[in-house]
Amino acid sequence: MTEPVYLDNAATTPLDPRVLESMLPHLGGRRGNPSSLHAFGGLARERLDEARDSVASLIGASPGEIVFTSGGTESDDLAVLGLARSAGPEKRHAVVSCVDHAAVREAARRLKYEGFEVSWIGVDADGLVDPDEFAASLRPDTALAAVVYANNEVGTIEPLPQLAEISSERDVPFHADAVQAAGRVPIDVSETPVSTLALSGHKLYGPQGVGALYVREGVSLEPIIYGGGQEGGLRSGTQNVAGVVGFGTAARLAREEMRGRVTHEMALRDRVMSGVETIPGVFVNGHRERRLSNNVHLTVSGVEAESLVLFLDALGYAIGSGSACSSGGHKASPVLLAMGLTEREAFSVVRITVGKDNTPEEIDGFLGAFSTAVEQLREISPLYAG
Amino acid sequence: MSDRYRPQVIDHLVRPRNAGELSDPSGRGESGDASCGDVACFTVGISDNVVEHVRYKVYGCAACIAAGSALAELVEGKHLLDGARVSKADLEGALGGPLPAGKEHALTLVLDALHKAFEDHWNRKAGDMLGANGGRGAGGRSVVAAMSGGVDSAVTALLLKETGYDVATVTFRLHDGERGSRSCCSPDTVLFARDTAHRMGLPHFTLNLKELFQRRVMQDFVGSYNEGKTPNPCVACNAHVKFHASSFLADELGFHHVATGHYARVEEGPTLARPVDESKDQTYVLWPVPRELLSRTIFPLGDYRKTDVRAIAEERGLAVAYTPESQDICFIPDGDYRGFIRKKVAAKPGDVVDGEGRVLGRHAGVVDFTVGQRRGIGVSAPTPLYVSEVRPRSGQVVVGCRQDLEVREVRVRDLNWFLGPEQAACVQVRYNGSPVPCTVEETADGGWVAYLDEPVMGVAAGQSAVFYTGDGERVVGGGVVARRSS
Repeated sequence: MTEPVYLDNAATTPLDPRVLESMLPHLGGRRGNPSSLHAFGGLARERLDEARDSVASLIGASPGEIVFTSGGTESDDLAVLGLARSAGPEKRHAVVSCVDHAAVREAARRLKYEGFEVSWIGVDADGLVDPDEFAASLRPDTALAAVVYANNEVGTIEPLPQLAEISSERDVPFHADAVQAAGRVPIDVSETPVSTLALSGHKLYGPQGVGALYVREGVSLEPIIYGGGQEGGLRSGTQNVAGVVGFGTAARLAREEMRGRVTHEMALRDRVMSGVETIPGVFVNGHRERRLSNNVHLTVSGVEAESLVLFLDALGYAIGSGSACSSGGHKASPVLLAMGLTEREAFSVVRITVGKDNTPEEIDGFLGAFSTAVEQLREISPLYAG
Repeated sequence: MSDRYRPQVIDHLVRPRNAGELSDPSGRGESGDASCGDVACFTVGISDNVVEHVRYKVYGCAACIAAGSALAELVEGKHLLDGARVSKADLEGALGGPLPAGKEHALTLVLDALHKAFEDHWNRKAGDMLGANGGRGAGGRSVVAAMSGGVDSAVTALLLKETGYDVATVTFRLHDGERGSRSCCSPDTVLFARDTAHRMGLPHFTLNLKELFQRRVMQDFVGSYNEGKTPNPCVACNAHVKFHASSFLADELGFHHVATGHYARVEEGPTLARPVDESKDQTYVLWPVPRELLSRTIFPLGDYRKTDVRAIAEERGLAVAYTPESQDICFIPDGDYRGFIRKKVAAKPGDVVDGEGRVLGRHAGVVDFTVGQRRGIGVSAPTPLYVSEVRPRSGQVVVGCRQDLEVREVRVRDLNWFLGPEQAACVQVRYNGSPVPCTVEETADGGWVAYLDEPVMGVAAGQSAVFYTGDGERVVGGGVVARRSS
């Protein structure tokens, strides 16, 4: 068989060779701790600062507003827990969208144990948050609000600037998870008044295990990790220098190449969509226009997600499944349920996410494999009448 | 354990065997539902007890699809008994080894669907004709053993197997109140019994007897209480359901015997004899088993003590060794049979009266009373009051003192004699009672009356009266206590 084709770029992207190149010196050779005073430390610090500049530039921030973390989840947790815990004792309410990443949702759920009331903002059938509903949910005692920039499953891009504006007018700190959006949607925190914004390295062709939280200057945030006071005291612990350097390179490349990448991805994405939509009983989920350039999210009637993913895997195509089947049953995605899918439909979803390195030929090959797999699995499905 | 699938699983996924659905199957079974996310459907074509064709369909994860494929491949062409023997371990073997953690339910799911197809096959064959037809002689060495999921029936099957019988096990679906009913697959009791049978290497079948059980046992139970009688549902089940169904399956499989985990022995006659473990004696509830069925019945536990049975289960590593003793009426697991009846029939209030008909108080409904009852009468008196009679027509509950409960003659109907009535030397009127010497006499209306040598307390209509031989060891026959003629 030929080399398998990777179409799960929302899960993680391949590491860009240029990123790897930039990291190598920090994985061996003269390694220093950025907090050390000597030359070894100085060099590491220098590279860290360069990376901070690059990441800040990607979103229009200043370098001092970037806190490096271990990834998107930590960034989300730090933002949600940190904003909530630094709010005054009279502020015990949080507003979170139903389509946020699990990192945000679970952190918000955690807040309930700390005496917070959480209002969950629903979405329409396309996965869009209604700004009016959002505005109506904000209260004088709201400590924070959080809405994902673009949903990681269905790829719908939320009206973020508008939501952040509403929140800002009401003096409510606002967190945006931009892990999937960064590098695909132009983000400018100088115009979009978010308080915090989460980023991740490995969704941008950077290394895994590194991310960042943008924290607007003046926003107060309680850390969730304590120690030596690195990252302005917001994230103690010696930095992952090689990772941060790689993330910096990836962020720089993402900014420089964004236009070309997005155009390329969109062409492939649309090729996938128009291809799969010729198969009966295959539906695209999420907003058709306001969607990430790389995301195709599908309901495939009568076919269970895991079996389709593994079938395609056997045929040499790697895609993502929208649900996880575990002991004695499936767990439907809360995001899809919030969009109004039934449980059954939510078990029959897959996510195809293209990347800058995919080619139209790969997409054509995929479409052939996809229709074969769907056809065969439907033949043995008791739930597809054809 | 790795959570990656073995190549065999992926092979079955991509190249499924026996996928599809038979257009004219002899049985169809489905397991799983929307909320658990996996659905398996099997159709089987069975002829002369050979599973000639198996087709399956699965909506579910790769493990479910592959397990369905492997199971269909394993079972097609096999004798029904061998098909019904295929276990989770066999399936794992066919799939190259254990499934990843968390995927084991795939095995349960597809096995359950296949077994439901077998069940459907039997039920189609049985139709409404689930009656006794005697079957073969008692000489052969093959037996259908009923398995409830408890320790007694599991050891029954095991002992038969170890003594050289060909054993097929069967579990009956009797009602919907079974323990651990989950949204997907069968109730835990059926799955547990199947698993136990398969671990012993025995084929397992299920039969759906819900309609029969509802008609012959549950309705009778509710109706009897409503008529002021004290029914015994186990007796009704033995009279109409359990032995008939086992016998049907034995006939279909060409098997000679049937067996259950009752503590009793079958002796020449045939008749029932007390078991070795007298504290577990169940002869009292077995009297209605028709002679022709009893003649092919084996009760292996009649020769064992309960403690031995548990020891055997433990020694052989049967998981059922530690299941609790079942005491209650099986379809009323919480034991609240009054609450159960109240849900079925509206209670009509009536009077509590004494022997002379004087009204002493009111009650909420006759279903709350049974002859001999002392608690909950709701009338205070200097000496303890007992229910001596329940009169459903007039709604009266008659109470009296202890002596008023004493009877010296018992009228019995619906008799089932194993031996000549003249051998009836004593009668037992309660499950845990002891036999009382008596003489019997046939009455003009076809019933019998037993004249007791000594008075007995609280004999309620609807209970069983079982006659034993002079040594108290063998059952001569039994019947249902009729209302006092007064």
